[in-house]
Amino acid sequence: MSSRGGKQKKGNVTSEQEEEEQPLQAVLVADSFNRRFFPISKDQPRALLPLGNVAMIDYTLEFLTSTGVQETFVFCCWMSNKIKDHLLKSKWCRPTSPNVVHIITSDLYRSLGDVLRDVDAKNLVRNDFILVYGDVVSNIDVSQALQEHRHRRKVDKNISVMTMVFKESSPGHKSRCEEDDVIVAMDSKSKRFSMGTDEFEIRHDLLDCHISICSPQVAELFTDNFDYQTRNDFVRGILVNEEILGNQIHLYVTQDGYGARVSNLQMYDSVSSDMVRRWVYPLTPEANFTDQQGQGCTHSRHNVYRGAEVSLGHGSQMEENVLIGRDTSIGANCHISNSVIGNNCTIGDNVVLDRAHMWNNVHISSNVEIHQSVVCDGAVVKEAVHLNKQCVLAYNVVIGPNLSLPDGTVVSMHHPEEEEEDDDDEFLSDDQEVGHSKDKTRQKAFNPAEVGPEGKGYIWKASMNDTEDEELAQCLWGLVLNPDPESDSESEASEESQDRTFQLEVLGTLQRGLEENIVCDNLVLEINSLKYAYNITLKEVMQILTRVVLEYPFQQQGTQLTTLQYTGSLLPLLKTWSPVFKNYIKRAQDHLDCLSAVEELFLEQDTHQTAMVKVLMKMYQLEILEEEAILKWFSTGATNDKSRQLRKNQGKQRMSLQRKESEEDESSEEGE
Amino acid sequence: MELQAVLMAAGGGSRMMDLTYNTRKPLLPVGNKPLIWYPLNLLERVGFEEVIVITTKEVQKMISTDPKMKLDVKMKLDIVCIQEDADMGTADALRHIQQKIKTDILVVSCDLITDAALHEVVDLFRAHNATLSMLMSKAHEFTETVPGQKGKKKTGEQRDFVGVDGTGKRLLFMANEADLDKGLVIRKSIMRKLPRMHIKTGLVDAHLYCLKKSVVDFLADNKSVSSIRGELVPYLVRKQFSKSMTSPNVNDEADQKLKKKDGNANLEIQILSRDEVLLQLTRERSCWNDHRGDMSEAYHGVRLRCYVHIMDEGMCYRVNTLAAYIEANRLAPKLFDEPAVHPSAAISVRCLIGADSIIGASCQISDKASIKRSMIGASTTVREKVKVTNSIIMHGVTIEEGCNIQGSVICSNTVIGRGADIKYCLVGSAQRIEPEGEHTTLSECDWT
Repeated sequence: MSSRGGKQKKGNVTSEQEEEEQPLQAVLVADSFNRRFFPISKDQPRALLPLGNVAMIDYTLEFLTSTGVQETFVFCCWMSNKIKDHLLKSKWCRPTSPNVVHIITSDLYRSLGDVLRDVDAKNLVRNDFILVYGDVVSNIDVSQALQEHRHRRKVDKNISVMTMVFKESSPGHKSRCEEDDVIVAMDSKSKRFSMGTDEFEIRHDLLDCHISICSPQVAELFTDNFDYQTRNDFVRGILVNEEILGNQIHLYVTQDGYGARVSNLQMYDSVSSDMVRRWVYPLTPEANFTDQQGQGCTHSRHNVYRGAEVSLGHGSQMEENVLIGRDTSIGANCHISNSVIGNNCTIGDNVVLDRAHMWNNVHISSNVEIHQSVVCDGAVVKEAVHLNKQCVLAYNVVIGPNLSLPDGTVVSMHHPEEEEEDDDDEFLSDDQEVGHSKDKTRQKAFNPAEVGPEGKGYIWKASMNDTEDEELAQCLWGLVLNPDPESDSESEASEESQDRTFQLEVLGTLQRGLEENIVCDNLVLEINSLKYAYNITLKEVMQILTRVVLEYPFQQQGTQLTTLQYTGSLLPLLKTWSPVFKNYIKRAQDHLDCLSAVEELFLEQDTHQTAMVKVLMKMYQLEILEEEAILKWFSTGATNDKSRQLRKNQGKQRMSLQRKESEEDESSEEGE
Repeated sequence: MELQAVLMAAGGGSRMMDLTYNTRKPLLPVGNKPLIWYPLNLLERVGFEEVIVITTKEVQKMISTDPKMKLDVKMKLDIVCIQEDADMGTADALRHIQQKIKTDILVVSCDLITDAALHEVVDLFRAHNATLSMLMSKAHEFTETVPGQKGKKKTGEQRDFVGVDGTGKRLLFMANEADLDKGLVIRKSIMRKLPRMHIKTGLVDAHLYCLKKSVVDFLADNKSVSSIRGELVPYLVRKQFSKSMTSPNVNDEADQKLKKKDGNANLEIQILSRDEVLLQLTRERSCWNDHRGDMSEAYHGVRLRCYVHIMDEGMCYRVNTLAAYIEANRLAPKLFDEPAVHPSAAISVRCLIGADSIIGASCQISDKASIKRSMIGASTTVREKVKVTNSIIMHGVTIEEGCNIQGSVICSNTVIGRGADIKYCLVGSAQRIEPEGEHTTLSECDWT
């Protein structure tokens, strides 16, 4: 910062210089606009949830301040009072704070889009600003990105509207959110989102830190496009309209530094453990960057942190990566690893904690075992309770004694149904007291089988609502998406299934034809159109048709038919559908193909081989098949067994019926 | 012998029929040498002693009889003829010579003119024990005006999309624009393994491939593949990430037997280049890995690997169009420091020959002729006051007095009448151009 005097001396101060001297601004959105953390976030907004015993919003503010932000607008909606109280008490609102925090609350925000439209309406930003969510934990130095962004904006006026910060991390890394799996196409040279140029790069090794450097136009663009709700809408809109509007989005890829958004509990778990393992240095638990009285703790080997006045019973072990808040007492013979324990907690004897996240004022009795679970403020876990993976005990829940909660159990003091009733006014009603009094009046009994004899709380089921969207919202721990199966020959598989679907369609058509008495001509028409739809050759049509018709009795009456029943039901069908057959069986080759289809089917259905004679006879009588064709097929088909054929050749000039009898012998023998 | 070289010289040159109507593509003169000489020379330079040349009877006859077509190479040429009308693709040709192939092979096309360092391609092949390694280059813009073409015609060919990994060596993806009706589709499973993929367009495939012997055996079993570039290479590239190739601990013997029963499937297993036991062991015991970022074994257990060397600089032309042919002629002299004027040419003292021109054997160039940036073929007669600029004159052409030829291609044995003015024309072989005629931008190819 040059002094004022220097400025005046120079006289012609360029506007850019002036611009740079303007304080860097940031927009912090302290609301996620989704319900991923329900029911936890029913009592506390997500931004205030403790991570490493510090509210998440403090990490975000610390990150912004350390990158040189001097003015931050915090937008709150859900439980804005709590956030406001928290911030007013924090160091950010002290007069010495280098970062001036303005809190803007409104219950009308329903998306990021609303927030940015409000930014535009109130004309808050004058220059490039940083846009983050209140649940971003990061130590990335974005000044480099900021510089690049400004440079780009200087070079070609106002073309680049946004620079998104990405961090390199290979697929499968645990700090990558499975739901937020991005694949980015970028121009490696200009670091621009693009697909159009001659050479571009497709990257799957980037992690979206949800930190973006925005030009003031971003807010305007949100106002112009009132349908933009999220940043994804915005990015998509810009990319689609790139050629028309000429706006571009750039990326900044950092290799070191840490940046992640706590978007579900899975991420909460990973970010919390990264924090304890000091990946977010200098934001470490013992740094006490929030400058709160009594928050300090000591750091010792194996990343064990202890707050003030922590008492540890005899024989208790803190293996590694453990953070214990102040005034917490731990009983004897406990075994604690990879866990975070809040302030004022009491833990009994013989407790095993692994990847447990315990917030403040939690009481754990003896002989409890907790694995990879979250226990919120004021929860009480009674004796001999076993929490399996991915359990959540929300505020003030009591569990136990002598209970084992299965994987993924979520227990809350709020009844799941109450949430739906509140649904409409949930965003609007600021006044939580109304809700509280309401659910007190119609308190339902707790189910002791679910939460234990002395338990208090309701089980939330993940799949409570049937719509998929809601299910996602309920899923606290986030989804695990399976990668696409590496199919070997997709094309072949699909071809096969095409034949199969065609067969089903033909069956459906014939069935309908029978039920609704459709004329055979129309059936032919339908089958023909199916043929084109599925791209099936004429030969296949005929074979499939034959197969469908011959299998029809099985389809209708089950496979347990006797031969007699079978022929009894099939022969009338053949008569009804003979015009359909005649339409497809015209040339000599068609006859042979049809016969081979018949033969194939009866080889499969070897119990019904005696019926074949009758079928062939009927087809002959209905003039579907010609005599010569049958004879020819008979002579060629039997080549595998010459002696038998010779014997039967004597009767070659006899009636076709007898021929077919011997025929059938032959095929039954083939079947063996 | 580590590699056997195979030269594909049976192509007809269907994309420049004007030129190849009378002269087969391998024999087209480029810098007064038949085109086929360039790949042969390339192979000879890197030390090959024997080459299998696949060509047609006609070309073989010409090479052995016509002195103009004499190939000036010391390598042993094993010429295999295939029938011209059999419509054989390059893969068919490989299948044809399967008996001769004992080791891994290097396949070169006869229309390749390059100064690429071949060892780069072969080193990739060796270093990664690859199934396929190939050569690509940045596409060149052709600057010269093409005879018979008005204005600059944009090459109507569709772009090829080539995907390589972060190092730019591993070939992951290949598709032609024509096939991409639904946009670029890339399997996520590939992206998970190799999260950075560079997609490049504007590359020319030099049609130079190193292939494992097992690929030739695969071709022998799989008769439906007929072209290397069109079918085999995309198939191999795709196969890299298909399941059967990556499945761990393949119970080789049992698996093979199992697949043998299965009619089609046994073809695939054959191509699986099984790493030798020692190599496998080395890889397991060493800390070397081809990728970073995850903990899986080198190459993610992929046994079939394709690599590509993309030339950044240097020249690499495929002479398969008229424009490429002209460009190649312009640049060919720069490749070799041979005397531009053949010693047997009779050149008048009072004529002007630019340094960037080539004069073939036993040419006659008369007084006051001026030749700039052109190639004059063997036994060509250039009379007085003829001006030739930017042109290609093939063998046995007679150019009468006072002609002016600019930016044209004159095929062999043509006679150009006195005072003719030819600009940007393509003149077919054994033609007679009327005296005093004026021709601009036409193809004078009277084939009848």
